[in-house]
Amino acid sequence: MVISIDTNFARLLVRLADTELILAQRLCEMCSRGPFLEEDIALSNLALDLLGRAEELYKLLAETEGKELAADDYVYRRNEREFFCYKLVEQPNTDFAWVIARQYLHDVYAKSVFTRLLQSDNSKLAGLSEKVLKEIRYSLERSKDWMLRLGIGTEESNHRLQFAIDRLFRFVPELFAFDTVDLQYIADTEGLIEEWKMEVSDTLRTANIQEPELKSTHLRDSREGFHTEYLGHLLSEMQFLPRAYPDATW
Amino acid sequence: MEKHEAAFNALIEQDLKIEPHDWMPDEYRKHLVRQVSQHAHSEVIGMQPEGNWLLRAPSLRSKQVLLAKIQDEGGHGLYLYSVAETLNVSREELITQLHEGKARYSSVFNYPTLNWADIGAIGWLVDGAAIVNQVSLQKTSYGPYSRAMVRICMEESFHQRQGFEIMIHMARGTKEQREMAQDAVNRFWFPALMMFGPHDTDSAHTGNAMKWKIKRESNDYLRQKFIDKTVPQVEFLGLTVPDPNCRLNETTGSYEHSPLDWNEFHDVINGYGPCNTDRLDHHRNVQQENRWVREAAAAYAQKTETVNSSL
Repeated sequence: MVISIDTNFARLLVRLADTELILAQRLCEMCSRGPFLEEDIALSNLALDLLGRAEELYKLLAETEGKELAADDYVYRRNEREFFCYKLVEQPNTDFAWVIARQYLHDVYAKSVFTRLLQSDNSKLAGLSEKVLKEIRYSLERSKDWMLRLGIGTEESNHRLQFAIDRLFRFVPELFAFDTVDLQYIADTEGLIEEWKMEVSDTLRTANIQEPELKSTHLRDSREGFHTEYLGHLLSEMQFLPRAYPDATW
Repeated sequence: MEKHEAAFNALIEQDLKIEPHDWMPDEYRKHLVRQVSQHAHSEVIGMQPEGNWLLRAPSLRSKQVLLAKIQDEGGHGLYLYSVAETLNVSREELITQLHEGKARYSSVFNYPTLNWADIGAIGWLVDGAAIVNQVSLQKTSYGPYSRAMVRICMEESFHQRQGFEIMIHMARGTKEQREMAQDAVNRFWFPALMMFGPHDTDSAHTGNAMKWKIKRESNDYLRQKFIDKTVPQVEFLGLTVPDPNCRLNETTGSYEHSPLDWNEFHDVINGYGPCNTDRLDHHRNVQQENRWVREAAAAYAQKTETVNSSL
């Protein structure tokens, strides 16, 4: 471990921060690759929101841990096994349906999590949650809208969305495998799971997408730093400059 | 017709704006469409060389600044395609022309970005050159184009300062960072100067454009203005211009410089630059790969419209 995460509150923060950061990096990959110019700009907006959110969370993490590390140290100087983002968000932009499905599944979850964090004892995290919930609600409205467009639009778009959902659903049980850290800070996790399932089922039904069965088990949790093979490549690209020139400041 | 033409000429004469509903000579419209389309495509294609470093931006802050900048460029593309629409040309037509090689974009984007300082150099030199040109175009005679330029110039000046900030970090950084900064200036200096277009004597489209006040200053005048503004900035950074003949002429107060390599300029314009093929392939492939998304959105709109109207 180059940078350890020492307290339970810091563990909560790093999971949230890493998840938003890695999703942002995936959205950055979409820059100049949107299906049309307006959508390209919209995806950049989402990425900017996520990056800003991640930065605030890393700052709070750095403050909590008090190791004289900056937000950038957490971003650029940790290895794959020291990242704690959920596997869902590190999945690739296979096509636009994957981008939308991944975003939607994330947004529904993030809305429930940050809503619960409004009650955090830490006033900074509570304040930040209030701010980011506005962004998340907007993002969710948009990702849900695209779910319907793709699900209902054409046969091809329906098939592509169905495929994306089928493939991405295997990362959903991990979201709900709350450990003692989560349970300490996120209230009513049972209710959260119910909310999520109800909202997602409703959208999938409206979008003419068959809901895959949620498996009750999953192995190798991201909370322990386990990932898919995609994350390492994402990090090696993202971290290239600070790793290659450790003495430089940018 | 003569009455219309007299009215048009009178507006131009009085420095008033031509608006979309006003009568205008076909050649005026054609010139504007060509210029606005080239400008719009430049904004959009310019997203690629900058995007090339987005995933590798070395800090959270620099990543956000760069992404916001690229997003602005996309937004400029949108305004400019809208300006073209007021001249009765659709975005689809313009993009088809781009893909068919009939429309152009700024040749500077056909050069690759090879190190992080290139992102600084593009903001500082390329956006800097664009600003000199666009400030002059704020006074262009076509109203929608002129108003778009006012808005675009405000954002571009941010970009230029942000680019210069990267250059300051690099030029004052480690030995390797300084080398990257100098390398970036070496590679982007001449391409930036070529952004102003050919020598006045070789500029095919300048004549009428000046008469109609579409263009307000000549290519060479604007190029010199940029050089005079920028060389002191290069010196401030402790870097050098890759031109041994670049020196201040005390009498004129302007910097002299070596002749530009117009063969290279024409080669790049004619498709032989290092990245021409990649830039167009990228744009074309993204369009093709996402056709199904646009079809889905259109089909969905049609289906929901039918449902709504039957309610």
